[in-house]
Amino acid sequence: MRAGFIRQLKPFLETVAEHKELYVPKKTGEHYVYTRYDPSSEVSVELNNIRPCSTVKEFLFPVCELASIFPEPAEPEEVKPFAVFGLKDCDLRSIEILDKVFAEEEFRDPLYINRRENMFLISSDCFEPGKSCFCHLCGGQPFSQSGYDLNVSEINEGFIIEAGSQKGRDFIEKYSENFSEVTDSMLAQRDKNRAETQKKLEQINAEYRLDMPLKEIVEGGEDSDVFDEDAPDCVECQGCTRICPTCHCFYLYDTKQKDYFAKMKMWDGCLRRAYAEVAGGQNPRKMIGDRIKHRLMHKFVYFLDRYGLTMCIGCGRCIETCAGGIDMRKALKKLNEELKGKDRKKAKVSK
Amino acid sequence: MNENPYQPINGEIVEIIDESPTIKSFVVVPEEPFKFETGQFVELTLPGEGEAPFTPSSSPSQTEKMEITIMKAGRVTALLHKCKAGQQIGIRGPYGNGYPVDNFVGKEVYIVGGGVGLAPIRSLFLTLVERIKDFKTVVCRFGAKTPDDFIYKKTLFGSWQKIPGVHLKLTVDEAKGNWKDNVGVVTTILDPKDVNINSAVAVVCGPPIMMKFATLKLQEFGFSAKDIYLSMEKNMSCGIGKCGHCMIGKYYVCKDGPVFTYEQIKGYRDIWA
Repeated sequence: MRAGFIRQLKPFLETVAEHKELYVPKKTGEHYVYTRYDPSSEVSVELNNIRPCSTVKEFLFPVCELASIFPEPAEPEEVKPFAVFGLKDCDLRSIEILDKVFAEEEFRDPLYINRRENMFLISSDCFEPGKSCFCHLCGGQPFSQSGYDLNVSEINEGFIIEAGSQKGRDFIEKYSENFSEVTDSMLAQRDKNRAETQKKLEQINAEYRLDMPLKEIVEGGEDSDVFDEDAPDCVECQGCTRICPTCHCFYLYDTKQKDYFAKMKMWDGCLRRAYAEVAGGQNPRKMIGDRIKHRLMHKFVYFLDRYGLTMCIGCGRCIETCAGGIDMRKALKKLNEELKGKDRKKAKVSK
Repeated sequence: MNENPYQPINGEIVEIIDESPTIKSFVVVPEEPFKFETGQFVELTLPGEGEAPFTPSSSPSQTEKMEITIMKAGRVTALLHKCKAGQQIGIRGPYGNGYPVDNFVGKEVYIVGGGVGLAPIRSLFLTLVERIKDFKTVVCRFGAKTPDDFIYKKTLFGSWQKIPGVHLKLTVDEAKGNWKDNVGVVTTILDPKDVNINSAVAVVCGPPIMMKFATLKLQEFGFSAKDIYLSMEKNMSCGIGKCGHCMIGKYYVCKDGPVFTYEQIKGYRDIWA
């Protein structure tokens, strides 16, 4: 069985929580943040209609973690199976991106893989994209078609639960008595909802429509002033790199404990001034404009060249969080216009 | 359990050699034989204090112990300079791509080095000398600030000058003591007549400014960008192409380098900083 229908979320979540630690989005102010599911709580869990504010990378790549202990190596920490509910398609794509880095054949990161293998992903369709959402400009969409174990689509009478993996199919199979059949009219309703959300996204981003692939736009802006134009607004708080679900820079540092030494792995960000500085003092990106440019080049050009994926999912968290009001979409649009101008010039010259 | 790439193997510093006022060589014995290719680098941990990347200066044919030459430049290297023989250390690696020595076979190898950049070059030099007959010649042009700033003085001023097949010339920015040799930056002793460019490869390692001008000069001589090998110094932290610190454009210096041809990286603006 690949799909089933349920009327209420609570029994479904309780079933998931029987075998796994379950994390659900909880409305906090205007945002959703992840919290451990508490079945005894009176508060009912609502399906988040937009991606949570907290990112899925925190489950796989925490802010700070123990990388190794020596001189005597320690056994790796045991990770209990856990499930995350309410992920959106952008969140799933961020995992795909992190997998490329931390699970690549050559150097697998055991800390990441250990958590990844124990993670159960429950995604859901988006209903209310935010003002900063632009997933469709980055090749995404407000609903998932792959990358999940289970996906939840809300419709009038209840929820369609679909399996996207063996783990998901096993779940639906095991609890088949809890699900009723999904009818064609339910699927039609789901598809209608999805199309409406897609339309909302396009309306939100009407002024940011792009004419060329993102890679061409950003790569074509190699010598553009656009990055420097954002520089005066950046207060170098690194909020964007921390809240970004795909940013994965880190550094290793050493600590001394009572009877052992430890190497720690901690988040870092490429917008930090000394990020690329070497001990002798040379720094390839002294100016903030160069660092902003490097970040965008990494996201839209370098990562794609290396791994075949764009390293931006268009979730808009960086826009929402920026203390200086920097909106990546504006830079992309400006680069798009500059490139169009260049193309026109070229066409004229060749005439 | 996967092998943990963040786990260092244990080792001990068994000897420390003063090379210059700011540079020391550390003889390190890892607890198990340590294989590497010349030009690859290791992450050396001073337990509890920090970790930094260095290219070993010894020949890879020696796996029981390894020499690492370190200039006092930052926090970790300053602490290393205070260490005494017997100090426990950690080693991760080896990482990245070394010098493609097999591609040098049958060619003239033109090596340009300066300052502590002679450390990776020493490893390459020793590797070449072990099979010197495989190469037409090995031509070395080395520079330092003052005669006292040269590292590996004993061999540099002595036995290396007498190896058949090796042509070595030295220069200093500023002559001191009884220095009778060349005075001037290293590019002043580069001469197109030194090698036959059609069958030569060049290797450059030194301070960024020296690498920049040496590379320009070599191109003036007619060297193709793909025959100039550069060993790049960046802020490598993880060593395994993930943490991002050492990126030059799309390349991770730790994984795709530290040895690059100039052809690979010439399109990026930030390579010499």
